[in-house]
This record gives sequence, C-alpha cells and structure tokens, in this order.
Amino acid sequence: MTNKKNMHTDKKIKIYSTPTCFYCVKVKEFFAKNNIKYEEVNVATDMKGREEMVKKSHQLGVPVIEIGHEVIVGFDRVAIEEVLGMK
Amino acid sequence: MYDLIIIGGGPAGISAGIYAARKKIKFLLITESFGGQSVVASEIQNWVGIKSISGFELAKKMEEHFMVQPGIEVEEGSLAEKIEKISSGFSAEGGPAVGWKVHLKNGKSFETKTILAVAGGRRRRLGVIGEKKFEGKGVAYCSTCDAPMFAKKTAAIVGGGNAALGAVKDLSAYADKVYLIVRSENIKGDQALFEEIKKDKKVEILLNSEVIEVFGSLTGEFVGGVKYLDKKDGTSKELKLDGVFVEIGSVPNSEFLGDLVKKNKYNEVVVDHGSQKTSCESIWAAGDITDLPYRQIIISASDGIKALLSIKEYLNGGK
Repeated sequence: MTNKKNMHTDKKIKIYSTPTCFYCVKVKEFFAKNNIKYEEVNVATDMKGREEMVKKSHQLGVPVIEIGHEVIVGFDRVAIEEVLGMK
Repeated sequence: MYDLIIIGGGPAGISAGIYAARKKIKFLLITESFGGQSVVASEIQNWVGIKSISGFELAKKMEEHFMVQPGIEVEEGSLAEKIEKISSGFSAEGGPAVGWKVHLKNGKSFETKTILAVAGGRRRRLGVIGEKKFEGKGVAYCSTCDAPMFAKKTAAIVGGGNAALGAVKDLSAYADKVYLIVRSENIKGDQALFEEIKKDKKVEILLNSEVIEVFGSLTGEFVGGVKYLDKKDGTSKELKLDGVFVEIGSVPNSEFLGDLVKKNKYNEVVVDHGSQKTSCESIWAAGDITDLPYRQIIISASDGIKALLSIKEYLNGGK
C-alpha cells in the first residue's frame, strides 16, 4: 500500500481543513507518507480560503482536497490514488 | 493460517489485539483505520484514569499501545467484505474442523481458525426528506471537523446522547445560536454535560421534538432549516438554520458476516454477553457491532478482552 518512492506530480495540491478535524489529519498523513507536497488552507481562520473552498466544492464540510482541477470531498483514499495515478 | 483474525481497529479490536499479542496468539488485525467512531469526539471525560482527552488523542494512544506489541501483524487500509467457510483441520472440542477465509474489499484474503468481529458501527442517518440532498451542504456528521464553518451562524444538533451534547459544545464555540433537538423527553447523555449546556445562553433545548424534514435555503443550494414535530402539542414547526448536525447513534457494520451469525432486527450481532460468543462456533463479536445495551468506549474495550479470553480458551481446546 505504502508507496516508498517520491510521487512526481505537476498538479498543485491544496487541502482545505480545520485543525480539530480527524479526517483532515488522516489526509495530511497520507500525503506525507507518500512524499507528496501540498498546501494547507485552514478554513477555521482563513475566511478567504473558506469562500474559495465553498465556491469550488459547493460543500460546507472538510476536508476538501483539490488536485489540479479535480476536487475531492472527504478522505476518499481511492479517489485520491486514482487522480494521482498511484494505482 | 492464523489462529485468529480480528476485524476492526476500534477500542474493542485494539484491546483484544493487545491481549492477543501478550498471549502470543498468531493473529492478524484487519482495519481500515484505527480508533473507531470516537476519533471525532472533541472531549472524552469518562475514560477511567484520564480526566479529559480528545477522541483523536485517545485513539492515537490506543493505536500506539497496540503497535508496540511484539510480533503483531496488521492489514490496514481495507475493509472485510465477506467471510467464507473452509476446512481448518482444527477442532476445539471434537466438533467439525471449521475455519474461515476472510475476503477484503481490496481483493486480498486471509485464512483463520477463529474470528473476532469488532467492526463497530457507522453513523445513523435521520432518514428524513432533504437529509441526503444537503449532506455536506449544511447537514453534517462531524462537529469537530465542521463546527468552524458555522461561525456566526445558526445550527441545530439532533440527538440526546453524549455525542450530541459534545457537538453542542463544539458548535457553541463558533455559532451565534445553537439548538439541541431531542426526540424524547429525557437526555440520554451525562447530566454533568447537560447542565453545562443548559447554562450556555446561546443554546436552546427542544425536547419531545422530532425532525421530519431538512429544507433548503432560498437559492436551494444549502440548508435553510428543518421542520419538526413538536410532540407536546402535536404541531409541525420550522426552524431557520444554516447547519444541522446529526448525532443519533450508530448502525452496525455487520453486513460482511452475512447469515453466518444470528442478528437482531437492528442488524446487531447477537452475542452471549459473558463470553462474546456469537451463534456460530469459532466466531466472536464485541463492541458496537453487537447487541450490547450501552455504547461506551470503555465497554467496547472490555468486551473485546472478554472475547479474546474466551477465544484463547477455545484455541487451547476448551481449557
């Protein structure tokens, strides 16, 4: 399951999260484990980031993961692996 | 072939796993992730020995405690899909030498002499009009995750247990107004927590009230409020809301067991509450997947241990 090699992706990755959200922590752990760089947006305090997240995902729940132009709602491991071509 | 496969990584699975490792049983623990349903609890104040801890921290401590045990084997990241009966060549009391093949959703399979089913539960839905349509659009199931999204807004929590009371506290830290909607006349959660909430001026408590519909906002994209039945006067009323947090308990993850074991009408696995044995020889169950009357982390953990001790006896040939 764990991919030891560095994942090379040109896609920009953003994780919209809140600090107390367990699933957000799990998403970040998943990316860290696979050596994938991401930008984190804390929507509990970053109001601009929150608006951006709602506009892109039409969702009021975290985590929201943006990979390139794809938006994934929740820690959907299978969807993330698919978008990144990890399978 | 394993002596035991533990299916689930919540409090019941972890406690059984620690005991199994210390008893040097050859076992595998299969789980999608560790911690169970309480990982999303912001504060747990009734785990004996710890005055206050977040669900996430407690789950982490449990996982760490398990992971340091020597000789353990873990299959993480997938769920059990079904169980198939095979011949094991092992029989405890001269009975049929039955074993099991556990098939996972990721396509892998593992063989074992005994099974401990501790796959817990998943969130119970209200099952009312609009709930599904507005999931993630104001209808939420994780207050520690999404409470900040409702800063300066109005939200309701549906439910009367400790999870609901905890969610009221999570929301009150951000929202301007918080309703607690409870179906019955009484609160099931701890009185200490309830009294704390009653003192909170932002919180309004609606007892004897049953949500019957979640409706949309003017644009129709997000939640606009709920309709509920006020059982005191029998009338239907409306609340304007931005968010609805559903905390009404769990439904058991027992599907993978199929018809192998006896289940009650709620799909909970019926067990003997002394030994945690199911109706099927060589399958045990513990925690929220079972027909236990009280759902608490500490009870799941202890039921997992009861099961493990019974399994150990079985593997020793009934001694």
